[in-house]
Amino acid sequence: MSVLQYGIRRALLMPMLLSAKNRFFPPGSWPIKSMGAGIFCLVLCLVIYNVTLRVITYFHEQDELGVILSLKIFQMTWILIFAMLIFSCMVSAVSSVYLSQDNEIVFSAPITTPELYFMRYTSNTIYTSWMMIVFSLPLFTAYGIVFHTPPLYWLLMVITLVSMACSATCLGLLLTVILVNLFPARHTKDIILYLSLCFGVLIIFFIRLLQPENMVNPGEYGNFIEYLSTISKPAAPYIPAGWAANFLSLYLLDLEIDWLLLGLLLLTPFALYFLGEGAMRMWFFPGYSKSQESFGGHNKFGNRRKYKPGTWQWIFNKEAKIFARDSAEWSQLFMIAALVVIYLYNFKLLPIERAAFAEEYITNLIAFLNIGLAGFIITSLSARFVFPSIGEEGGAFYHIRSSPLSIRRFLMYKYLFYVVPFTFLSLTLVIISNRILHIEGPMWLISIFTNLFITWTVVALALGFGSVYADFKSENRTVTMGSMGAIMFILTATALQIVIIFIGANPVYRIVRRWLNDHVLNLSDLYFLIAWVLISVVISLGLVIYYFRKGIHTLENS
Amino acid sequence: MNGEKLPEAGIIIENLVKKYGTFTAVDDISIKVQPGQIFGFLGPNGAGKTTTIKLLAGLLKPDSGNIIINGYDIAEDPVKCKLHTGHIPDRPFLYEKLTGDEFLRFIASLYHLPTETFDKNVNRLLDLFDLTDWQSHLIESYSHGMRQKLIMTSVFMLDTPSIIVDEPMVGLDPKSARIVKELFKNHARVGGSIFLSTHSLEIAEELCGQIAIILNGRIKAVGDMATLRQKASLETSDLEEVFLELTEAEGLTEVISALKNME
Repeated sequence: MSVLQYGIRRALLMPMLLSAKNRFFPPGSWPIKSMGAGIFCLVLCLVIYNVTLRVITYFHEQDELGVILSLKIFQMTWILIFAMLIFSCMVSAVSSVYLSQDNEIVFSAPITTPELYFMRYTSNTIYTSWMMIVFSLPLFTAYGIVFHTPPLYWLLMVITLVSMACSATCLGLLLTVILVNLFPARHTKDIILYLSLCFGVLIIFFIRLLQPENMVNPGEYGNFIEYLSTISKPAAPYIPAGWAANFLSLYLLDLEIDWLLLGLLLLTPFALYFLGEGAMRMWFFPGYSKSQESFGGHNKFGNRRKYKPGTWQWIFNKEAKIFARDSAEWSQLFMIAALVVIYLYNFKLLPIERAAFAEEYITNLIAFLNIGLAGFIITSLSARFVFPSIGEEGGAFYHIRSSPLSIRRFLMYKYLFYVVPFTFLSLTLVIISNRILHIEGPMWLISIFTNLFITWTVVALALGFGSVYADFKSENRTVTMGSMGAIMFILTATALQIVIIFIGANPVYRIVRRWLNDHVLNLSDLYFLIAWVLISVVISLGLVIYYFRKGIHTLENS
Repeated sequence: MNGEKLPEAGIIIENLVKKYGTFTAVDDISIKVQPGQIFGFLGPNGAGKTTTIKLLAGLLKPDSGNIIINGYDIAEDPVKCKLHTGHIPDRPFLYEKLTGDEFLRFIASLYHLPTETFDKNVNRLLDLFDLTDWQSHLIESYSHGMRQKLIMTSVFMLDTPSIIVDEPMVGLDPKSARIVKELFKNHARVGGSIFLSTHSLEIAEELCGQIAIILNGRIKAVGDMATLRQKASLETSDLEEVFLELTEAEGLTEVISALKNME
């Protein structure tokens, strides 16, 4: 490579590197946010490490079978990471290679296709795999600790991880270049999105239907002997993830290095890189040209009915239409449906009959704790859909700001729009799980009303936080969901629910115990319950009013 | 706008100040836009034009001073002020996933526009801007100029007595630019007031009865063309020379001659 080529390649990476530097280390001030994010990552790594360590140690206590099982999980994890990396690289590559905002500057500059490929490959690899590498390191480290490996394992682990990540992103990019040549870029993005969603749902179903909790249950061992011979086989011998898993498994078990696998792991990323570069030379420009032509201009929408004034109707209309016409948004409904099915399916699987206490007590306890679980689902979905809804107005928010509609009223309409489907979802989760658990009497009412109250509060908090931390420049809701404001919202909403459930434990226990024993309600128990309700209402209303006001103030001064 | 007299309009700015931290973007400016007047607001980049526009549209809160639109103080009654003001920004941000028609209905409903006014104005304006065939298409498929025309339609359909405009002609084809000029003139003719910020000196010279030149957040000069020429001591010059003189572009002659010598 000549000095000039080297200089161009370095220059092409400058926007990414300098943006990252300015973002994480803003000139003239302390990088407090970056330090906070760093500490957060570290804590998360420690949590992952601890959980993995406990799980693997537990498996190891189950003799030889446990060791094989833990290695099977090890192999599955590698394959899962590999598949996820390919998919996320494909989604990211469509945006960064074909639809990126800097395309006009970069493509009109005198740079060759290999240089362009180098730029997009490097940035894609970093963007899509850094998180996977950082958070899988503690996981694989825990394996090294449990298997008591020498220090060489850490080096092999890092080499394997980086090599597999590079291979996955190379494959992702290669597939994207081929796919875009077949479909225009915007459609390809949708196709990949659907594939990713199906992939995600399948994985959840796979894990749930496999019931890993039964794998170490002695009652299941009759079938497990046959399974043993299957799981002892090396995993997926034709893909880099399989090589990585088998290579490290061998080292973990026997401290042996398979030189053929190591060679494959080291050479494959380079081979795939040059293959991708070739594909880029052949198919990139036709695909890029096509992606410029594809826009929805030929589609017509709606019928020309008579205009009827009505502010809230049109706010609702706007929200619904924007949601329905954005496939990235409504396709998430499949994921929610899968989550609901798995959530409710879990209640059916609960081994309540094997519990040490009377079944009624256990089911009522689960129903009470289910308030928090359903609340957490509502919180997560609010973070995904309600929190970003203010920032997603984008530059068009000035239409609202310069109109005679007050921000307070605008937020109220938004609230009403979102609270209805969330109420429906919350009721579905609680009523069906109560039915599966055969809940009757006071707990039925308590769980439903508490959940409704939590849902209404959480949706309001999501809007309040979404207004305070509105990012009008964010490109999509998924990015917003990972922002500091969203994390603050999730923490606040979760803390509120923990407080409500914690304070309510005693009053609810008194009422439910008396009901289960004597089928009566006592007045003094009711006083406790009323006190709990009042305290919960005061705390929740206080939080909602505070963040709503703060949100209004922020939006009015944005 | 259609020949009938609008309610008396007028924009009054008194001692307006807006600071960003320690930087004063708008520094004690006072302007009066009479009903029936198109008021030009000129200045170099970073002089404070867009900040002033945002203050007038109620998008920013001033640190001090008053803005009175059609008799309503924006600090005390922002909703009434906004009801009487249409705002055309320099960049056409729109809801990408709505159609043009849906966007217009949405804006109309925010301003409580009666059905008759909507029906009467929208079809005519869409026709004028050649957008009739595009009204049922998603805005994401519109070109920059089409978006700008859609925003113009959304503001003119409201029949507001005051219009605040930031760079009106950016991205417009000559036909549309001509139509917009005529719409502005018509609006002023029936008693509406327009506050127009622009870099195009030709447009300002053609449309505006009164012009203010802002520099470093302060009003450098205000008046009609004759007054501005007088202030610049350039009795027979056009607005470009007057503007350059008043905005202290002293080194410009030397720069131009240096550039010519390079050729």
